[in-house]
Amino acid sequence: MLCEKCKKRTATVFYNENINGKTQSYSLCGDCAAKLREQGDLQDITSMMDSFAAPFSALQTDLFGGFFGMPMMKAVSAEKKCPSCGCRYSDISKSGRVGCPICYDTFGEELSRTIQSVHGTTAHVGSVPSRHRALQARAEKMKALKQEIQEAIEKEDYESAARLRDEIRKLEADKTEQEGA
Amino acid sequence: MAWYNTSGNAWDTVISSRVRLARNLNGYPFASRMNEEQAHAIIAKVGAPLESSGFKKIDFAELSPVMATSYVEKHFVSPQFATLQTPHVLFLQEQSGSAVMAGEEDHLRIQSILPGLALEEAYKNASRIEKRLDEDFDFAYSERLGYLTHCPTNLGTGMRASVMMFLPALTRGGYMESLAVQLSKIGLTVRGLFGEGSGAAGGMYQISNQITLGISEEEILRKLSEAIQQITDSEEKARKAITGDTLDRLTDRIKRAEGTLKYAYMMTSSEFIKLFADVRFGIALGLVTDISYEELGNLLVEAMPATLTLGAEIPPKTEAARDILRAAKIRDFLQRKEP
Repeated sequence: MLCEKCKKRTATVFYNENINGKTQSYSLCGDCAAKLREQGDLQDITSMMDSFAAPFSALQTDLFGGFFGMPMMKAVSAEKKCPSCGCRYSDISKSGRVGCPICYDTFGEELSRTIQSVHGTTAHVGSVPSRHRALQARAEKMKALKQEIQEAIEKEDYESAARLRDEIRKLEADKTEQEGA
Repeated sequence: MAWYNTSGNAWDTVISSRVRLARNLNGYPFASRMNEEQAHAIIAKVGAPLESSGFKKIDFAELSPVMATSYVEKHFVSPQFATLQTPHVLFLQEQSGSAVMAGEEDHLRIQSILPGLALEEAYKNASRIEKRLDEDFDFAYSERLGYLTHCPTNLGTGMRASVMMFLPALTRGGYMESLAVQLSKIGLTVRGLFGEGSGAAGGMYQISNQITLGISEEEILRKLSEAIQQITDSEEKARKAITGDTLDRLTDRIKRAEGTLKYAYMMTSSEFIKLFADVRFGIALGLVTDISYEELGNLLVEAMPATLTLGAEIPPKTEAARDILRAAKIRDFLQRKEP
């Protein structure tokens, strides 16, 4: 397979880029990959291994290292970028600081290991902002109403079921209105 | 009146209690990825409710380095905050020991600092300010991770509760290292007087919670309070165990420290911290009777380099001049009662 960039040399680096959930694959030769790496547009797997995963980086390099003089194939994957702030995971692991609140979703999996090692858990216990308290209360009420409506239907109590259905609709309308606000 | 010159609970072993809450606003990146415009926008937004609740706005961009450092010495801001190059503003209610740093590592660091052992009250104060801001702003929060912070070490409650303890007997006995190891096992940290990396000056230590996620605010306070009680008991036991020749030698050292504080002509801040600790120990042991904790506590801020310079009619130009000024300040504070 020829390198997609220069279209001259044989592609030895296979590269998957994932931006906002969209994956694109590239096949590059060693020279073009090196050029891109210099520009910071391509991160190879060894530099992606941050301090938190240091024990694994050696293993990965060995796994993808050359065998018997075959062209070295490196599984290389471009980093995701946070859709909100553009932060990459390598930025986070370098600075120890997360880019924005959305990064915690974007890099949820990657960060959970760090969070687990710092706090010994990844589950919050404690105070909740008032907006979330309202959301939680509504979710709980919705759950209870759905349970009740199920029971009413089973008992063939259609009068109660109709009343509960209206209540659920009203709750849903409130939710849409608040989320839109 | 402030944490350093007002008497508080358990003052023999506890100097002050502090609670700070880290909060960020949804819709903005964290500090390191924020532009100046966004930083100013946050400051303006939170400033309105804070100023109307009696907080004074202090824009650090307009302060001289000496003024900024003086707020560090009063523990109203972190050392990092004072030297930031990005927009950063302190909202301060000095009387109640309440402060909000806007533009620190997190968008907001809400803090209450009180004299003596007063963790519950400090939490109530910080929480009251936080609730006021929660009414107007959408804090970055996830159900799973709690309050979202710039550094993952502050996730969850975003709360750091700390107690500044005075532990001269445990320090003298060489117990601090093993105490630090024990505390780390239960998720607590020991640091020197002025926060991270400052060393344990004068037997003064900040003991705080290390973990903020997976533990409620109440549980953090309970755990820390229990540890403080145990450390206090150990310190008191170690103080009582000082007898005979050892006590005589300590008494001599304390009396000399008192004399030096009262009569020296020049004094560096590091010498002051040492003498301060000896004299404070003397008050606790009943060996120094004509200096109160409050008077001495005042010096813990007033004799520090920046605050000292600010208080001077003619700012000292050299280090020697500052040391002369410091000694004069201390003499003035400690001898003013004498005829």
